[in-house]
Amino acid sequence: MAWRNIGRAALYLGPSLVIFTLFVFYPLVKSVRLSLHETNIVGVEKFYVGFQQYVEIFTTGNFGHNLWLTFLFTLYTVVPGIVIGMGLAYIANWRLKGIGIFRTVFASPLVIAVASASMIWMLLFNPSAGVLTFFLSKLGLSQVNWLSDPKWALFSVCVVSVWRSLGFNTIVLLSGLQAIPEQLYESARIDGAGSFRQFKDITLPMMSPTLFFVFIVSVINALQTFGEINILTQGGPAGATNVIVYSIYREAFFNFHFSFASAQAIVLFLIILVLTVLEFVILEKKVFYR
Amino acid sequence: MNWKKACCLVVLVLFVLGAVGCGGGEKPKTDAKKPIKVVFWYSVGGKVSESTKALVEKFNASQKDIVVEAIFQGSYDDAINKLKQSIVSKSAPHVMQVYDIGSRFMIDSKAVVPVQKWVDAEKIDLKVYEPNLLAYYTVDNKLYSMPFNTSTPILYYNKNMFKDAGLDPAKPPKTFDEVAAAAAKLTVKDAAGKVTRPGITIAIYGWFFEQLMAVQNAFYANNENGRAAAATATAFNSPEGEKILSWWQGMVKSGVAGNIGRKTADTQKAFIGGQTAMTIDSTGVLGDIVTGVGGKFEVGTAFLPRPEGAKGGVIIGGGSLWMLAGHPEAEEKAAWTFIKFMTAEKQQAFWHINTGYFPVTLKAYDDADLKKHHEKYPQFKVAVDQLHSTPITRATQGALLGVFTQSRQEIETAIEQVLNNQASPKEALTKTAGIVDAAITRYNQTVK
Repeated sequence: MAWRNIGRAALYLGPSLVIFTLFVFYPLVKSVRLSLHETNIVGVEKFYVGFQQYVEIFTTGNFGHNLWLTFLFTLYTVVPGIVIGMGLAYIANWRLKGIGIFRTVFASPLVIAVASASMIWMLLFNPSAGVLTFFLSKLGLSQVNWLSDPKWALFSVCVVSVWRSLGFNTIVLLSGLQAIPEQLYESARIDGAGSFRQFKDITLPMMSPTLFFVFIVSVINALQTFGEINILTQGGPAGATNVIVYSIYREAFFNFHFSFASAQAIVLFLIILVLTVLEFVILEKKVFYR
Repeated sequence: MNWKKACCLVVLVLFVLGAVGCGGGEKPKTDAKKPIKVVFWYSVGGKVSESTKALVEKFNASQKDIVVEAIFQGSYDDAINKLKQSIVSKSAPHVMQVYDIGSRFMIDSKAVVPVQKWVDAEKIDLKVYEPNLLAYYTVDNKLYSMPFNTSTPILYYNKNMFKDAGLDPAKPPKTFDEVAAAAAKLTVKDAAGKVTRPGITIAIYGWFFEQLMAVQNAFYANNENGRAAAATATAFNSPEGEKILSWWQGMVKSGVAGNIGRKTADTQKAFIGGQTAMTIDSTGVLGDIVTGVGGKFEVGTAFLPRPEGAKGGVIIGGGSLWMLAGHPEAEEKAAWTFIKFMTAEKQQAFWHINTGYFPVTLKAYDDADLKKHHEKYPQFKVAVDQLHSTPITRATQGALLGVFTQSRQEIETAIEQVLNNQASPKEALTKTAGIVDAAITRYNQTVK
């Protein structure tokens, strides 16, 4: 009987195990291996160097700075993404005629590929023919070099990223809102609760599992952002948007330094792992599951 | 439960079949008369790729023994990354278009056949080819790849704005100082003193820095630009390097030069749109700029500016066609036949007219269509003169550096730091040299 169970389990798990092994476990093991070696120009291990690459990460280069940029990027995208997403979801939850159209519009960034979205924003940001520049000049403000000024570049990339995340956030948060039973609000109103009180004591607690989910996914997405950076700024100007995943990509595929890049990737993996565990341990206590 | 099990089985079977299907290849056909297939990877997209494809089609239509399959591989960098994987998995193409600064990498990959092999075998007379081009791709007295698409940077200026500013449009500025002085006169400010139109706008492009080193006859890397022996360190942290950055920084600081980032497409737009009076760009975009401007103003071209008294010239970069090793002799020969076709005068004249790249063979200048083209765009004469007045030295041959891609990027970061006043030219170059030197050391360790 036990053998039959194992056989059946293998049957169910087989396909996903094969996929995971091929695309997740094998690359992970390979990355660890690469990170302990020095690689040649085509990415083949040449000689064993132990933990030298890891030591270099923390002693030379810009890893610390890039990590800080990544943290800022995460902060600037996750918080506005959730707050604005919540606002849009709230509006989309109104019972109006034709609300379906608005819901579709709000969700539309979800179906636009990162490359297309970045190209659209690149046109908006364009220093000589951009729409944003045009409106600024109409307002009598001087031109802002959105992507080529180190002071603005990270902000500009964050704007694109927030805009892109809104579609997903709005849909998920809207579904959370719609799952709250109307009776709760009804009885609250009868008890004399105002709209802020209703929001604080009914909406937020009832939404907490959804918010928690959106938060975790947003943080992981932000930490792994690549497409916008690659198309809009390529880590520049002067390293102002060189977030960690992009710098790893440059290190491996432009600087031919696969081993160092692998070591950085492993460190990033550990950081995301610890963060996610922490989020679960600390935040999940506040989540209210029915 | 049985139907679930059945479903699972079906999925599993499909999955296994899929995996097997991926692994299995087509069976080779044993047809003696089948033409030889040559795989060609090319990189420059946009308008240029249309011309590349047209040339390949011409080749395929011109004979029956060889079929060239041209595959676009994205940017030069992307293509090199794909090549790396294909070297490891032994599935490299026959011919590949690689950018100039990838030359050292290609040689060190040990996966190429120097075209010299076929030049010798067929006793090809190389005299008809542009000598500066051959100089770039000749390493250790061997011609490694066949020059294909080449361009140099020139100064573009708006003749009408020159007239309005009281400058002589027939006498464009030649030196760094003259450019700065002209830019100051061409800069337009509003009543409040804010710059509304800078005199010059240059994209932050590492290639320009390399060229501005060469016009000063200065080395970018040691061991005579890595040509006497493999480079072991950079050489750009020098008075010549500082001169470039100080000049640029000075103009940006005083507002006579605009800084709108790294994209040359943006500076082109600014120049075409009359938002700047001068810019530096490749000869390859001359056609685009003249057509883009239409009749709005007269476009002037001039030699790349240089510091007073500098005696160098421009580096003839661009891209070249490489032959990859590991293919049967017959296929290699077919690949060579294709390369010869692509670089012959008729094709190069077509290529020059449609893309703005220089013809790699001198014979192309006799082509009737090309002559007509030059009459239509007299601005191009400047580019050809600049090319032909360049002395061939180790500096103008260009540097060979295994980590050139990284170096170019680091230089761009250095320029950004200087233009944003985050570092002095000396500081920025010292820091950059440190990073690139370390990368060169590591590179040299691993290619041995």
